[in-house]
Amino acid sequence: MNHKAHIVLLLAVLVGCGPAKVDFNTQIRPILNTRCVTCHGGVKTNADLNLQFRELALLGGESGLPAIVPGDADASELIKKISHANASDRMPKDEAALSEEEIEAFRNWINQGAEWDTHWAYVQPIKSSPSLEANWIKSPIDAFVLEKLNDAGLEPADEASCSVLARRVSLDLTGLPATFEQAETLCATGDYEKLVDELLASPSFGERWAALWLDLSRYADSKGYEADRERSIWRYRDWLIDAFNNDLPFDQFSIEQLAGDLLPNPTTSQLIATAFNRNTMTNEEGGTDDEEHRFASIVDRVNTTYEVFQGTTMRCVQCHGHPYDPFVHEDYFASFALFNNTADWDQAHEEPVLLEFESAHQAKGEQLLAELETLEDGARREYDSAENKAIFATWESELENPEYVGKLLNTSKNEIRRIASKPDSSRSPYERYFIRARIVDAESSFQDFKQQRSELKKQLGELAPIRTPIMRELPESRARETRLRDRGSFLTPLEVVSPAVPKMLPSLPADAPADRLAFARWIVSSENPLTARVTVNRFWEQLFGLGIVESSDDFGTIGIPPTHPELLDWLAVHFSEDLAWSQKAILKEIVLSSTYRQSSATTKQKLEKDPRNQLMSRGPRFRLSAEQLRDETLAVSGLLSAKQYGPSVMPSQPPGIWKNPYNGQQWKISEGEDRHRRALYTYWRRTNPYPAMAMFDAPSREVCISRRVRTNTPLQALVTLNDPAYWEAAEALASGMREASDEITEQVTFGYRKALARDPDQNTLQILVDLAGSSSLPVVANTILNLDEFLTKE
Amino acid sequence: MNVYDEAKLKLAHLHTRRHFLKSFSAGLGGAALASLGLPSYALGANPLGSLLGGPLSPRPPHFAPAAKHVIFLHMAGAPSQLELFDYKPILAKLDGQVTPPSLLEGRKFAFIQGAPKMLGPQATFKQHGQSGAWISDHLPYLGTVADEISFLKAMHTDEFNHAPAQLLMYTGNPRLGRPSLGSWAVYGLGTENENLPGFVVLLSGAAGPDAGSSVYGSGFLPTVFQGIQCRSQGDPVLFLSDPDGVPRDMRKASIDAITKINRQQYEETQDLEILTRIAQYELAFRMQMSVPEAMDITSEPAYIQEEYGTAPGEISFANNCLLARRLVERGVRFVQLFHWGWDAHGAGKEEALNYGFKDRCKETDQAITALIVDLKRRGLLEDTLIVWGGEFGRTPMLENRSGQDNPFVGRDHHSDAFTMWMAGGGVKRGFSYGETDEIGYEPVSGRVHVHDLQATILHQLGFDHTRLTFPYQGRDFRLTDVGGRVVREILA
Repeated sequence: MNHKAHIVLLLAVLVGCGPAKVDFNTQIRPILNTRCVTCHGGVKTNADLNLQFRELALLGGESGLPAIVPGDADASELIKKISHANASDRMPKDEAALSEEEIEAFRNWINQGAEWDTHWAYVQPIKSSPSLEANWIKSPIDAFVLEKLNDAGLEPADEASCSVLARRVSLDLTGLPATFEQAETLCATGDYEKLVDELLASPSFGERWAALWLDLSRYADSKGYEADRERSIWRYRDWLIDAFNNDLPFDQFSIEQLAGDLLPNPTTSQLIATAFNRNTMTNEEGGTDDEEHRFASIVDRVNTTYEVFQGTTMRCVQCHGHPYDPFVHEDYFASFALFNNTADWDQAHEEPVLLEFESAHQAKGEQLLAELETLEDGARREYDSAENKAIFATWESELENPEYVGKLLNTSKNEIRRIASKPDSSRSPYERYFIRARIVDAESSFQDFKQQRSELKKQLGELAPIRTPIMRELPESRARETRLRDRGSFLTPLEVVSPAVPKMLPSLPADAPADRLAFARWIVSSENPLTARVTVNRFWEQLFGLGIVESSDDFGTIGIPPTHPELLDWLAVHFSEDLAWSQKAILKEIVLSSTYRQSSATTKQKLEKDPRNQLMSRGPRFRLSAEQLRDETLAVSGLLSAKQYGPSVMPSQPPGIWKNPYNGQQWKISEGEDRHRRALYTYWRRTNPYPAMAMFDAPSREVCISRRVRTNTPLQALVTLNDPAYWEAAEALASGMREASDEITEQVTFGYRKALARDPDQNTLQILVDLAGSSSLPVVANTILNLDEFLTKE
Repeated sequence: MNVYDEAKLKLAHLHTRRHFLKSFSAGLGGAALASLGLPSYALGANPLGSLLGGPLSPRPPHFAPAAKHVIFLHMAGAPSQLELFDYKPILAKLDGQVTPPSLLEGRKFAFIQGAPKMLGPQATFKQHGQSGAWISDHLPYLGTVADEISFLKAMHTDEFNHAPAQLLMYTGNPRLGRPSLGSWAVYGLGTENENLPGFVVLLSGAAGPDAGSSVYGSGFLPTVFQGIQCRSQGDPVLFLSDPDGVPRDMRKASIDAITKINRQQYEETQDLEILTRIAQYELAFRMQMSVPEAMDITSEPAYIQEEYGTAPGEISFANNCLLARRLVERGVRFVQLFHWGWDAHGAGKEEALNYGFKDRCKETDQAITALIVDLKRRGLLEDTLIVWGGEFGRTPMLENRSGQDNPFVGRDHHSDAFTMWMAGGGVKRGFSYGETDEIGYEPVSGRVHVHDLQATILHQLGFDHTRLTFPYQGRDFRLTDVGGRVVREILA
């Protein structure tokens, strides 16, 4: 023990207490994450030392000396290394030394036992009761918020004016602005809850929240990659709308999307829900390996599922242990194994697909499907016969012979090669039968099968069913094996991995098979610490612009910690238990709070103490989303179509945007009311996003984007000023203004009321009336539709 | 003054304004900038970025750069190196022979099957300039500027299909979703002329790039950094022109009214985002003038038009080359050209080495040469890096789609060896780096991977490619993924 330590110890004895308890999560883990684990963690374990997990850290590294001896800092190699006098021997290597305070924190923490506290997000949320009481408090939400405001010496803002509040809550709940009449009613009655109930019951509610889930589920009307051809999967979009409108509880909502096909006797709706994970891309390029792209799809399903439901960056773990969070490389492929057993395999036809027939064709369609099933079943049985298995074994060994391959290739071109390159479990009945026919030279029976099959498919096609790609599990006899992949690469399989969830999270129930359904139930089980938090945080982010956890896509140890942890946990438990996962109920709870109802105007003091409104010292104020902007503009101009559901539509877009090689599909502007549908019905092609929405930060949806960045650019101004679709809205609003009155002041007031559900103040009115004098009514309408207050949720 | 000094000077100006504004906005711009994810070195230097200059305001790179601008000439579809720059007399002797199995084993091609025949060079080669560069007679103009060029003759990539190879070339990754090279450049540097987009894309040929707008998209970077396609027909930038019946003075009156009302809103709410919005509307109004002015090539004198071989009013690669010069001259940071139609498989006349391919050469040769000459004459070549190439190369074998010879002469995709070149922007003049074997099939020395090319381009712009990063989904991403080596051998 050195001299200095003696004194510290002596002093501690004298005053009768040791150093204050060191908090691992706030004092030690951040240093480990920023200074240590890059070289001694999940990605690299230089000198065989891993500081990510306690057990591994205590083992020490290649020197054989213990890195950490709980209770004895001086015997711990880690302390020697970080406080080494000689810079070349000191850790972190070739970097600035830790500060004295940091070293002291490590020292105290080790002396106090070197406990590795679990990161907050992996500990079950507990609902605490706020103790604070005040008139302002309408919901426990407000008490948690007020407590932090008090700590910061700030007061909540006054309630927003009734018209501003009506517009805000309407945009938030339905994605459409309140009408002037709705605002008037609220101002006259003060019955805010009644307005909220009306909005929650409106069919537009489902459309607004489905739009958010289209980003999360990476929904698109095209398959991605080079040709980016059309995909029919809009029934999933409509499923989302209905799920929100029917307030399908979030647990059921999640289970159906992840594993609806595995529920007992799944309904059509439950099958459509599984299209959630069929929104992955399909590659139709020449010469590509279907199995490689099937692998890529499974990777995407794992990454998306963990991001959407767990706020976890599992993507990192595909190639190596997580650099910061407690997930090891095997965890990734254990989760991969849960998803790896579906029948889809990167085919242009995207089977398995659900076929839905018009009622007139229902009976015929079902009969044809049954015939097809019988035919393919027969082929499957024949294929699986012992005799054939022996033939295939010979055939596969012969495939190794280049001469034989050449002969096959030259006679049957691409087909055999394509089929041969697949693992058996990925082959369709047709392909299996094809191979069988090749091998046993039973051409004629194969031709029969092929002809019958294509005849049945042709007849099915003539009934013009709606096709939706869905999930379907392979039977046990064809179950795929999942292997760990070295550095995550498709090309480097290692040992077999069994399906499981990450080891440091609660395990799957032991009494059920470890499959997708078990996983889906685990996601929404009461033991899962993340799902409810991640979900309520997403609602909060939508309403307030920033989540309580700002990094809503990363609840891990390098994510941003919650500003209000008790509030987050209260919301999570309230949502999942008290409200039984009702999404409408939790939204109602939040929008009824005083916190939500505050005016968004700020003050110099608040800008200094709470510049980004993380303390909620005022109401939210931020630009509307791409979808909300389009919908709002169409709604206030009177153009918006109320039509719901159906195939995606093509609103006006300048010529020349779609110009992909190998894809002759054209953007053909829709007719009639389909030109003026809500934004979520707009045809979404991944390689050519709709420009007016892309400019307002809508992603192209190749992969899940759970958090849009909000930008503010001149190109956005050009859209709302000049895009013919927006100009058309200005002209429509102008005709309304013209019809409303002959008098300019009244015309302007009419337009402003339509747009903002309130009367313009005197100054604004004067500016707009003056503008009308030097321009035209459509220009005035266009100006109103470009005001900051119109583009912004105030 | 180089871009580094300029950016520092501009920051100094901002600092003065910052003191002026600090009384009411302490810390705010920085936070907004941080939420936008601007590079940390920009954060330190320009914490009011979002308020004053915006995310496109100029920022200094890591070190003094050799180039201020990049013009990337992409020959989409992948031109054959064996008909242009990689002269292989031995291949001519092997013409028509069946490819030995040793060259095919373990290989995968997009279309070739079975045993294809070798195909000799479909061009005559001569040496040009003092450097003695081998350039084929398909490019008679380019031969005259051979001494300006550094060739990279042993390029290789990981992908043999167009879209993934183009994505790898521009985003460092073969799948969709990552930011493109130009986006990284503008994210790191901002731009010099905010009345124009910082990253402009110009397309010519029968189709756009195979991977669509993703090859100039911003991926997970804020969309403000995405490439803006300036179009030859219709509005040069989408929605640039005022609606019918709205003359300029009316638009001006409308913007003024918006500004007045927004300013009042700002006074009531103190929301600083409103000030940014006011600035963006005024900028949009100015762009409505400056973009058409920059895009109007008819104002160029006749000798320039002739030199480039332009066709005003049409979609043409020559027009785009002249535009690239005009844009760079006006401070645009990154100009990306795509000319489609180089995919010479030989399955049809338009994609045959002896037909369509020769047309592509004619469409581009004169204009590219004129661009080099013109930039040099104006003193712009020294700080403008020109990069030429396709997404991969072509096989020394004649393509035999499905095992049968194609009706026309063509070559299949080849990812292991191809040629690219650079000029200006601090690279050696009259130089060649890397070699392939005697049939142009495999590199034998000086291999340069696509990530190395990207590292080199970023280096010329003043960046250490390993430090130009953006945090996304739990880790810092960079253009060069986990690879990339600056090809110092070609730097002047």
